[in-house]
Amino acid sequence: MNQERRKMNKPFARLSMICLVMGMPSLCAAANAPAQEEIVCIRCHSGQPGRLGEPVKLWRDSIHAANGVLCNDCHGGDPKDAVNAMSPARGFLGAPKEADIPAFCGRCHVGVMKDYLQSAHGRRLGNGGPTCVSCHSNHLVVKASLDIINEKNCTQCHSYEQARAIKEAMQQTEGLIVSIGGDIDAFKGEGVDTDKLEKGLFSVRNRFHTMFHDVDVEKVKQESTQINSELNKLADALGKIAEQRNKRKLAGGVVVGGALIAALLFYLLRKTYD
Amino acid sequence: MRFLKSVYNWCEVRLGIKELVEKELTGYLLPRNINFWYSMGSILLFIFIMQVATGILLLIYYVPDADKAFGSVTTIMNRVQFGWFIRLCHAIGSSMMVLFVLLHMLSVLFMGSYKSPRELNWLSGFILFNLVLATCLTGYLLPWSQLSFWATTVATNSVGAIPYIGQFLVEFLRGGKLVGAPTLGRFFALHVAVIPILIAAVVGLHLFFLERIGVSTPPFGLDKTSNRWQGEAFRYDNHPGGIPFFPNYLLQDMTSIAVYFALFAAVLFFSPYIFFPKDAFVQANPFQTPAHIKPEWYFLANYQTLKLFPNEFVGLSIQGAAMTFLALLPFIDRGREKHPLKRPLFTACSIVGILIFIALMVWGHYS
Repeated sequence: MNQERRKMNKPFARLSMICLVMGMPSLCAAANAPAQEEIVCIRCHSGQPGRLGEPVKLWRDSIHAANGVLCNDCHGGDPKDAVNAMSPARGFLGAPKEADIPAFCGRCHVGVMKDYLQSAHGRRLGNGGPTCVSCHSNHLVVKASLDIINEKNCTQCHSYEQARAIKEAMQQTEGLIVSIGGDIDAFKGEGVDTDKLEKGLFSVRNRFHTMFHDVDVEKVKQESTQINSELNKLADALGKIAEQRNKRKLAGGVVVGGALIAALLFYLLRKTYD
Repeated sequence: MRFLKSVYNWCEVRLGIKELVEKELTGYLLPRNINFWYSMGSILLFIFIMQVATGILLLIYYVPDADKAFGSVTTIMNRVQFGWFIRLCHAIGSSMMVLFVLLHMLSVLFMGSYKSPRELNWLSGFILFNLVLATCLTGYLLPWSQLSFWATTVATNSVGAIPYIGQFLVEFLRGGKLVGAPTLGRFFALHVAVIPILIAAVVGLHLFFLERIGVSTPPFGLDKTSNRWQGEAFRYDNHPGGIPFFPNYLLQDMTSIAVYFALFAAVLFFSPYIFFPKDAFVQANPFQTPAHIKPEWYFLANYQTLKLFPNEFVGLSIQGAAMTFLALLPFIDRGREKHPLKRPLFTACSIVGILIFIALMVWGHYS
C-alpha cells in the first residue's frame, strides 16, 4: 500500500522538483525577519495588571528599548530563567532606594553621574534634591534633550525662572545639534562616509550634555558659544557635501539633456532615410 | 587615405567584408511595420555591456572579504574619483536590466513572437531572465551591508523549504550553516565569473536563433495576423520589400538606447536612492536583525506570495509552477493568431496576471 502511494506520488514529486528548480532564482523573497526573542521579564510582566505590568508598557517607548537596553541590564537577574529571574543569587538588584538611584544609573552613564553629583541638584541628594528619575523618568526614559527642562519638571522643586534662562542660552546649540544630526543621518542614508562627522558631533554633543546639569547661567552661556563655533565647522563640512550634490545634479541635467538631443537627432536621421 | 584603402582591400579579399555587410546590415531586411518594441533587445545588450564595464571598474577597488567588503564599497563611493558614479551605474543598471527584460518579454508575449518556430528564442530568453535575476541576487550580497546580509539570509533560508534536499542546498549556497565569509566568496565568484559568462553565452545563443529563424512580423497594421509557418520544414522568415537593418533600424535602436540612457541618467543623478533603503549603507551585523527586511522591487511579488501561504513549500511550489508555465508557454499556446485583440482570452489572462504581479509587489512593499 505504502509502495503504491510512493509510486503515485513520484510524478508529483518530480513535477514539484522541476517547478522549484526552474523557479530557483525567484526564491529571494521571504517572510519578515525573526523578531528578537523576548526575555522572561517582559513575557511575564507584560501580561500583569497595574504597577507590575506598567513598567513594560512605559519601557517599550523609551530610548532604552530603542537601543536594546533590557530590564536585566539595569535590574540584574537572569532573563532566560523564569523561575530564578529575580533571584539575588543570579544578580537581581530590584528597584534602588532613592539615594542609590544616581549610582544605579551611573553604572552606565558614568560621566553624567559625575556632572550630576557636582551640580546643585546632586549636592542635595538625600536631602530632598532631585534624582535622575525626577527629570528623566524611570521606565519611559526619553532621549536627553532640552525638552526635559520644562516648567512641569522644574516646578516640582523650585521656580522656573533660572531654568528658563539656562534653557534659552542652550536653545540655539540644541537646535544646531538636532539639525546637524539630521543632515548627517540623511547623508549617511545616501552612502556618504559620515564617520568623522558623526564622531565630531558625538564629542560636541557630549560636551554640551555635561552642561545639562549645570545651573550657572553665565558659564552655560560661555560654553554654548564655544560649542556653537565647533558645530558651525561641522555645518560647513555638511554644506560642502550638499554643494557637491547640487553640482552632480547640474551635471546630470546636462547628461540627460544631451541624451535626449542625441535621441532626437537619431530619430530625425532615421526619418530622412524613410 | 591610400593606405586605408589598401588595408581595406587586404581584409576584403580575405574576409569578404562587402558581402558580409550586405548580408548582415544593408541587405538584412526587417518587416516594414516593425516598431520600437523590437529595440528592447538592443537596449538590453547596451545595459549588459554597461554592467560588465562598470563591474570591471568596481573590481579594481572592491575587496571580496567579509571584513573589508563594506569598507571597500564605502571607499568607492566616497574617495575614488567618480567611484560613486560607477557604483550607482552598476547598482541602478541591475534594476534597469530586470525592468527591460520584463518589458522585452511583455512585448514578445503580446505580439505573439514566442509562437512556433520561435520556441527556442523564447526558452533562451527565459533562461536569460533567470540568469539576470540570479546575477542580481548574488550581486546584492557583495556590499556586505545590513540589507545585503539579511536579505541573503532570508533568501537562502527559503531554499530550506524544499523537501529532502532543502537543508543541504541552504548549506551549499552559504558554504556553512549561516551567511558568512564563505557565502560572500561563493556569491562573488558566481557574480563576477560564472553568471556573466553564462549570460554572454546564452545571449549568443539567443542571437543565433534570431539569425537563423529571422525577425518575426509584428501583428499590427496587417490584415492577416496569423502565424504563417506550418511546421513543414526549416524556413528563414525573410521580409522582401522590408526596411534594411542598416541604417534604418540601427538608427531606431540608437534612438531607443539614447532615450533609455536619458531615463537611466535621470534616475542616477536626480533620484538614485529609490533603489537604496537606509540599511544599504550600514555595515552587516549578524547580531542585529533589522526590523523589516524587504527584497529588491523585482522580488517583492515572490516575497508577498510566500507570506500569503502558511506553508513555505506551498508558496515556493506555486511560484515554481508559475515560472514553469511561463517557460513552456510556446508549447502550451499552439494557437496561430498573433494579434492580441484577436486572442482576447490570452490577452485578458495576461493583463490579469500582470495586475496580480503589480498588486503583490505593491502589497509586499507596504506590508
